[in-house]
Amino acid sequence: MASDNGQLALPPGSSVTTTSVLGAWARPDKPTGLMNWVTTVDHKKIGIMYGAASLFFLLVGGVAALMIRIQLATPDSTFLSGDAYNRVYTMHGTVMVFLVVMPIGAAFANYLMPLQIGARDVAFPRINAFSFWVFLAGGLMLNTSWFLGGGPDGGWFNYAPNNGIIYSPGHGIDFWNMGLLIAGIGSMTGAVNLITTVINMRAPGMTLMKMPVFTWMTLVTQFLLLFAIPVLTVAQVLLAADRNFGANFFNVQQGADPLLWQHLFWIFGHPEVYLMILPAFGIVSEIIPTFSRKPIFGYPFMVFSGIAIGFMGWGVWAHHMFVSGLGPLSVSAFTVGTMFIAVPTGVKILNWLFTMWGAKIILSTPMLFSIALVTQFTIGGLSGVSHAIAPHDTQQTDTYYIVAHFHYVLFGGAFFGFVGGIYFWAPKAFGFLMNERFGKVQFWMMVIGFNVTFAPMHILGLQGMPRRMQTYSAVQGFGMWNMVASIGAFILGIGTMLTVVNLYTSHRAWVRQGRPNVGADPWDARTIEWSIPSPTPEHNFDTDPVVTHLDDWWHRKYQKDENGKLRLVHTGEELAQAGNGEGVHLPAPSYWPITLAFSLPIIGYGVMYTFWLLIPGILLMMAALFGWAFEPADNLDLDDHDHGHDDQAGGAEKELETV
Amino acid sequence: MAAEIDIHAHDDSHPTEKQYWVVFVVLAVLTAVEVAWSYMGLEGVALVAPLIIMMVVKFLLVAGVFMHLYFDTKILHGRLFWWTFVAAIILAVAVYFTVFATFEFGI
Amino acid sequence: MADTTTDIADDIVDDAMGSTHDLTNDDHNDHGGDHGEDHGHGPHLSLGLSNMKLAMWLFLGSECLLFGALISTYLLSKVNFLQELVAGNPYVVGTIGGEIEVEMIAQNSVEPMFDIPFTSASSFVLLMSSLTMVLAHKAVLEGDYRNSRVWLAATALLGSVFIGGQVYEFTAFYREGLTYTGNLFGSAFYTLTGFHGLHVTGGIVMLAALLILSSRGKLQADRAETVELVGLYWHFVDIVWVLIFTIVYLIP
Repeated sequence: MASDNGQLALPPGSSVTTTSVLGAWARPDKPTGLMNWVTTVDHKKIGIMYGAASLFFLLVGGVAALMIRIQLATPDSTFLSGDAYNRVYTMHGTVMVFLVVMPIGAAFANYLMPLQIGARDVAFPRINAFSFWVFLAGGLMLNTSWFLGGGPDGGWFNYAPNNGIIYSPGHGIDFWNMGLLIAGIGSMTGAVNLITTVINMRAPGMTLMKMPVFTWMTLVTQFLLLFAIPVLTVAQVLLAADRNFGANFFNVQQGADPLLWQHLFWIFGHPEVYLMILPAFGIVSEIIPTFSRKPIFGYPFMVFSGIAIGFMGWGVWAHHMFVSGLGPLSVSAFTVGTMFIAVPTGVKILNWLFTMWGAKIILSTPMLFSIALVTQFTIGGLSGVSHAIAPHDTQQTDTYYIVAHFHYVLFGGAFFGFVGGIYFWAPKAFGFLMNERFGKVQFWMMVIGFNVTFAPMHILGLQGMPRRMQTYSAVQGFGMWNMVASIGAFILGIGTMLTVVNLYTSHRAWVRQGRPNVGADPWDARTIEWSIPSPTPEHNFDTDPVVTHLDDWWHRKYQKDENGKLRLVHTGEELAQAGNGEGVHLPAPSYWPITLAFSLPIIGYGVMYTFWLLIPGILLMMAALFGWAFEPADNLDLDDHDHGHDDQAGGAEKELETV
Repeated sequence: MAAEIDIHAHDDSHPTEKQYWVVFVVLAVLTAVEVAWSYMGLEGVALVAPLIIMMVVKFLLVAGVFMHLYFDTKILHGRLFWWTFVAAIILAVAVYFTVFATFEFGI
Repeated sequence: MADTTTDIADDIVDDAMGSTHDLTNDDHNDHGGDHGEDHGHGPHLSLGLSNMKLAMWLFLGSECLLFGALISTYLLSKVNFLQELVAGNPYVVGTIGGEIEVEMIAQNSVEPMFDIPFTSASSFVLLMSSLTMVLAHKAVLEGDYRNSRVWLAATALLGSVFIGGQVYEFTAFYREGLTYTGNLFGSAFYTLTGFHGLHVTGGIVMLAALLILSSRGKLQADRAETVELVGLYWHFVDIVWVLIFTIVYLIP
């Protein structure tokens, strides 16, 4: 060891000192109840909270969507004023992108990724809690704009100079700016945390090329977040400087070039669209092999196409800006880049198709949603390729054709995948299977509702209906398809809501039946998260799994007999771990992550309203930081062991020396 | 516990105090040369190119020696730190240079 | 000046601090926690790398994109500002005023604003603080705690001198007519250098925390990695200054 004086152990009395520094609050120790959720650092609970928060925001964004569809259902509608309409569609887009699809991806990543790599938790459990709370704090702050003078009105990408104080007085865009800036901090810390976890905390034997595809897609997604979020942060800092402090970054009078905003936003924004879809790709890459009873076709291609999408996602941002007056060379380069990115995406679609090819497919609800993703994403992808072509795009930009495109990839693609994921992993997370018959009804409602809503928008777009148009007159001829779309939207809205209804009723039924055990592996699945009891015990794995194969859990159940045929040799129930967590020591909960997270909106409000608020905000933040810094990650004070802090450290030290 | 040992094993691969001092002197001299060069009254490439080169050398010296990137490559998988950083820098330079090019050269 | 970005930037800087502090604790946890086999992490580091160090490098990678965007914004704003100034845009002309603006127009450059000898001196101070930082790490590794405190204090002091220089510079520029709200160049210059200054300030706070830990005898050789992590952050901030010094100050 480095020091020869044997002082590796902390000096005597240090744990006493830390306790006194903690001072204000005793360490949280409630095993259940609200306080337990607030202070938890358990990646599973954090994942469930991410999911719950995004379903809540889905309600907000969904109501906004239905308001838009009511407004557009009939010509010359006066349901929403022009100003209200601007705010509603801006909030719809912002909430759906930043507070629904991104966090629901984070929910799956948080819950599943540590289980899939055989880890006991993420690398930094408290930072994980902080990431969630800061996302929630930012999201709630953005949504307080509904009550504090109206939401932002610049569209979800808030182009400059439209987002300036001159064109958008009032605080709407400040809410957008501050809320997302704060939520972005959570994304960044989450990315650092999850990447470290995937790279460095895999179970013995789980090499990179034995990782489940979902874990791979999480890794790519988090790298995209890591590098994309700071770009948005800078754009938002510039905007805040302009709006709140009188700087001139987007002041055209002064010679500023507002295109800078578009560049910065889309350098972030295009990786952003891939980081919304890739987790869903990962989810269906787990579901399709499970219900096709076959390994995923071309696993390395699945992995490398995901990585390729991650790389190429950085080189296509200007295709959002084809009509902004870029030079011919840029336009050509970005056209080519955009067409090329369709190749790895196509590889993935082909691999899913070949996985299903010739298989005895079990059409369970998660599988149906996955097939819908493959189909609808392909439609959205094809319309995407059509506006990779710059001249074509010039016709389509800012029409409903674009709206149709991105809803096909984001809703028909990503969100269908997430709903499939909820059905697939509900037994693992909650211990009960969701009702299949109910699920199929819901599935068909969503598919029909979705296509009835968004397919007509292709036609509307090609007819020339501009995006974000508040209303239209009867003579323009947009009436019929808008009405169809609005009817579809309500079917879709009800279908989406049924996810929550099904969760609730299935849970009720399960409780009424006396909470029967669904078993560790109800789907006869392939990856190691199914080797532990459902719902997942708090400590995850009793013993560290040792991985020898890709789809390791499947290979433990099925082995080749003497004729070279795969036979079931052990059922999942025989192999599953008992869920006995004796002797497992888990990181202790903490108040500081949530305290630190909720100090940030106070600072945000301070920037917007009065600088006096900065004082309590910054004081609270500093207090939280110091509380955090001087609090040990482990709850040593409450330990049952009768030996103190130093003895334990000494024990670890001895162990080090004996190796 | 092999992992724990690995973490500490690289302590031996840290640079020596003398190396730190040498690097510092080189950095100081480079800074002096940079400033002097900017006063030479040169223009265009003759001015900018040497300044950029010296900037990159300083960058590499700090990252490589003070931040131990050259030395971390000696530990198992230590190159990962290097690749993370280099990937971020390449990405940043490529992306922002493209933005700058679309503005300034009208391509 | 930097009050423009203070609040947002504070979040980011303190976020950085937060992560590092947390790393400190997890470090503590790994060594001081109980026996390896029942601990959440520690024994299963697949690559044998330290989680904290990996996380710090990832964070620094993220910061590269942040400062890249700020530097690009500065360059673009400077070019646009000069173009408008030389062309005589009435909204730009007179926003600085005096001799300096005349000089700027004559040279078609923002150089007349800068005081290169002064900034060179403060660059040198920051470079020197990187040296004291690595020496502090070395001292902690070797168990020479008294010297480690000397070097840590020296690093914090040199950082403070740099910040003091920046405050002086900003005040001088402000007196000469370059305001944050006056024109594009002012906004971009103060935002870029102010952001960097906030990062340095965050580093000084971390160094102060290390000094407190060390004076209480809690910063011993087993926690040398904590010092190394703060050092990585500190050197990164130094690297950013190397770029800013050349790109902003020396290249006209």
